[in-house]
Amino acid sequence: MRRLLLTAAAATVAALTLTACGTTEPAADDAKKTAEPLVLTDASGAKVELAGPAKKVVGTEWNVVESLISLGVEPVGVADVKGYKTWNTAVPLKNEPKDIGTRGEPSMDTIASLKPDLVIATSDLPPAALEQLRKVAPVLEVRPGDAADPIGQMTKNLDLIAQATGTTEQSGKLKQAFQTKLDAGRKALADAGKAGAPYAFADGYVVSNQVSIRPYTSGSLIGGVNEKLGLKNAWTVQGDPAYGLATSDVEGLTKLGDVEFAYIGNDGDKDSNPFAGVLAQDKVWTSLPFVQKGNVNRLPDGIWMFGGTESMNKYIDSVVAALTK
Amino acid sequence: MAVTATTAAAGPSSLTSRTGAAAVTAVLVLIVTGLAAVDITQGTAAVGAPEVWRALTGRAEAGDASVVIASRLPRMAAGLFVGAVLGMAGAALQAVSRNVLASPDTLAVNAGSYFGLGLLAVSGVSLPLLASSGVAFVGGLAAAAVVLGLSGLGAGTVRLVLAGSALTLGLSAITEGLLLLFPQQTDGIFRWNQGSIAQHGFDGILQMAPIGLIALVGLLLLARRVDALALGDDAARGLGVPVRSTRVTAVVLAALLSTAAVTLAGPVGFVGMCAPALVRPLARRIRGFTRSRASLPVAGLTGAALVLGSDVLLRAFVRSDVAVAVPTGVVTSLVGAVFLIVMAIRVKDTAGAAAVDRLRIRSRAVFLTTTAVLVAVLVGVILAAVLLGDTKLLLGDVLNWAQGRAGRTITFVLDTRVPRILAALLAGAALALAGTLVQAVTRNPLAEPGILGVSGGAALGAVLLVTTVPLAGSWSVAGAAFAGAALSSVIVFGLAARGGFQQNRLVLVGFGVATASAALVSLLIILTDPFNATKALTWLSGSTYGRTLPDVVPLAIVLALGLVIAVARRTELDLVSLDEDTPRLLGLSLGRGRFGFLLIGVLLSATAVAAAGTIGFVGLVAPHAARALVGRQHARVVPVAVLLGAVLVCTADLVGRTVIAPAQLGAGLMTAVIGTPYFLHLLVRSRR
Repeated sequence: MRRLLLTAAAATVAALTLTACGTTEPAADDAKKTAEPLVLTDASGAKVELAGPAKKVVGTEWNVVESLISLGVEPVGVADVKGYKTWNTAVPLKNEPKDIGTRGEPSMDTIASLKPDLVIATSDLPPAALEQLRKVAPVLEVRPGDAADPIGQMTKNLDLIAQATGTTEQSGKLKQAFQTKLDAGRKALADAGKAGAPYAFADGYVVSNQVSIRPYTSGSLIGGVNEKLGLKNAWTVQGDPAYGLATSDVEGLTKLGDVEFAYIGNDGDKDSNPFAGVLAQDKVWTSLPFVQKGNVNRLPDGIWMFGGTESMNKYIDSVVAALTK
Repeated sequence: MAVTATTAAAGPSSLTSRTGAAAVTAVLVLIVTGLAAVDITQGTAAVGAPEVWRALTGRAEAGDASVVIASRLPRMAAGLFVGAVLGMAGAALQAVSRNVLASPDTLAVNAGSYFGLGLLAVSGVSLPLLASSGVAFVGGLAAAAVVLGLSGLGAGTVRLVLAGSALTLGLSAITEGLLLLFPQQTDGIFRWNQGSIAQHGFDGILQMAPIGLIALVGLLLLARRVDALALGDDAARGLGVPVRSTRVTAVVLAALLSTAAVTLAGPVGFVGMCAPALVRPLARRIRGFTRSRASLPVAGLTGAALVLGSDVLLRAFVRSDVAVAVPTGVVTSLVGAVFLIVMAIRVKDTAGAAAVDRLRIRSRAVFLTTTAVLVAVLVGVILAAVLLGDTKLLLGDVLNWAQGRAGRTITFVLDTRVPRILAALLAGAALALAGTLVQAVTRNPLAEPGILGVSGGAALGAVLLVTTVPLAGSWSVAGAAFAGAALSSVIVFGLAARGGFQQNRLVLVGFGVATASAALVSLLIILTDPFNATKALTWLSGSTYGRTLPDVVPLAIVLALGLVIAVARRTELDLVSLDEDTPRLLGLSLGRGRFGFLLIGVLLSATAVAAAGTIGFVGLVAPHAARALVGRQHARVVPVAVLLGAVLVCTADLVGRTVIAPAQLGAGLMTAVIGTPYFLHLLVRSRR
């Protein structure tokens, strides 16, 4: 112990000498301001002041990142880049952004080292962390979702992000395209006689030999889109107030009755697809009316269920294709 | 408490005893059947009692029937199996160790198995269930061997539990760390830690059942020898029983039993301890049950009743789609914690008088050099913490920052990094000081706020506030943490004081409260914010993420206050920590002084928890190491312990922030990894 302490002390002295007085960044000089300043009000009600449309933007959640890419802004920092690439191939990254750590605890250091003009975060981050981020750069806080109006919240976020990045024209186009997609999808489904058809979307995980299933209630973004498509959400369970997600197990599926069932799994994450895996042998699953009728639809990988307009466009395409086949 | 040591039944009473035993067994079977029947009617599907009845009589619709057959019955069977197997494992372990608190949990068998499974999961190798249970078996057996080796068979009751519980904490910290490093589904963290009996189909049970059966038959064959062990090692040897091989075989078989349970359902806590404990009072009345051959199956039945009962209770009180998310293990942990506390109060303290560390008296020069060296190390750690991170800095940067002329990035980095470092430093110092005070007052070298459940209570208070008032400020969080800490310490110290403030009873009761509060924190987070793993992590294992300067202010103030008082009343601390009589002889009122020191200890740990979550072991390691370095005088122990605590947590935080950057591990996980071996080392040393 004593020797250990002494060594540590000696190492301290050595380190002091080695690191003495260099700098990795020159001392601050006065910044020059050119562009027209912007003032926005974010989800927390805070005024966010920007010197001009943000160019170097960091996104802490994948839905924010997707919106940025759709708007033509390439984010400089993204949380869990590998995960994004696995789960959101509908709107792929066009650049090689810096990985800022996990979505739950993004690294302040890394974000700061990127010197962003703007950080876009969701209120899923602890309030104290958001407070710290505000010292790093202006922070645009958006609500991750709103089970009372999921689509409205998505477009509201898109608009806010567009304003902050000076891309409102593009956001108009995205919303327009989304609306067109919805209308076309609704019509295609109605033509196929699927108007008002009971429909249930879920994802599932195998955790230590047990299957857990997440129903997407009508408060989820996918659930909101389904209703706009004229489908009837068959889930009766109650979801959480932000994402409209509930928790269930295989038994819970029996309450669905005779529905069209759809899910998104991921081949890059072997535990994310119980429906085609462990459940194939499960008697409850195989005796479900929609399983017996073959009304289980695996939608393509890479559509992020909590994404933005472009993920939802892909989702609409795949649902319509699956239900009208 | 020599529970199994009552002599075997003889003569005229044996007949009544046999009918009594049969009656008790019949009642137990009835209870278990009843619970099993109720359990089948509960679940997320709309399949209640009438549908189940129709399904069982073959008149139900196909859908309902399949729910009963493929979901309800397997779950019920898993509950039966897991409970029975754990109950029997506990009974066997308690018999061979002659220790009422031995169980798969307290021998760290569960944690070891789960650690094995965690390693396997992380390695990405996907093995069939049987093979993976082999890995779990090796892990569980190894953990049991370590604990038994450290504590000695048939030796101190308390030592065994302490070693096992500490190893459990350490192993689960590592398992949690692994899961964080490979965060495929952070959603699953809770269910990973606390077992759940839900099943899909009978496959798992059918594969595990033979293992359980083999182990059970083995134990029954061994029963006679195990009974002989109850007479004492020498007497057993006199009867020609090979003591050592009997013990080893029984422990291996018990480990096999609990491995089967862990592989099937994850670690369902405390059933192995409670079930035999419930049987024990029966054994005193009905002599048939003093024989292992009879008591093993009865303990199994009781275990099954416990697990099924917990499951039924949970599903009866919580909405069905929420109940799905709550693991059965949370409920059994709660029940088990209460049990541990009750047992701790009743168990006789065999450890006797305080194991005073035999320490050399150190000179003043030693103290001064130690302090100087520690200060240098602390400066080094702080420097490293400030300079290292995702962004590596140089001293000139810090100098610029201190003078307010740093560039934008440096300013940002240091503005966020410095509060975290301060939170870690101050939390470490505060916990160390709290540990020093508590150890002095209780004269218990194993006492510390984390182990005594005070930190757990604080976390519970803080989480309660944070979940009900999302925008609570730092002072109110600290206040809520203090309320929780105060409540839990009233419980712990109050219960331990009953019957004379026994040395180790305090620690056992504390362990119980700590387990219960951790289970409650999990439960609260699952029920209110199921998708927020970050939050859970902060409160369950300590993290400095997102701390700002205002969060640290309450802690700094309380620490300053605590230091002033500790230094001002150092001689009183010395006297209090000496023995019961000396202070009285000197005319000191013990009660008030003790209460004051304890209160400060509670305040310190509560504010530390509010600032950085529950960080265990610091309050234990720091004061002890300080005493070893500079002797027992508090004038010397306090500064050295505080410095050590600060160094320890700050280093843990630094490592957690940098090794897997930009992702990060909580400081609490790192201190548990460092603290567990130290705690075990302390236990070994105090045995001599």
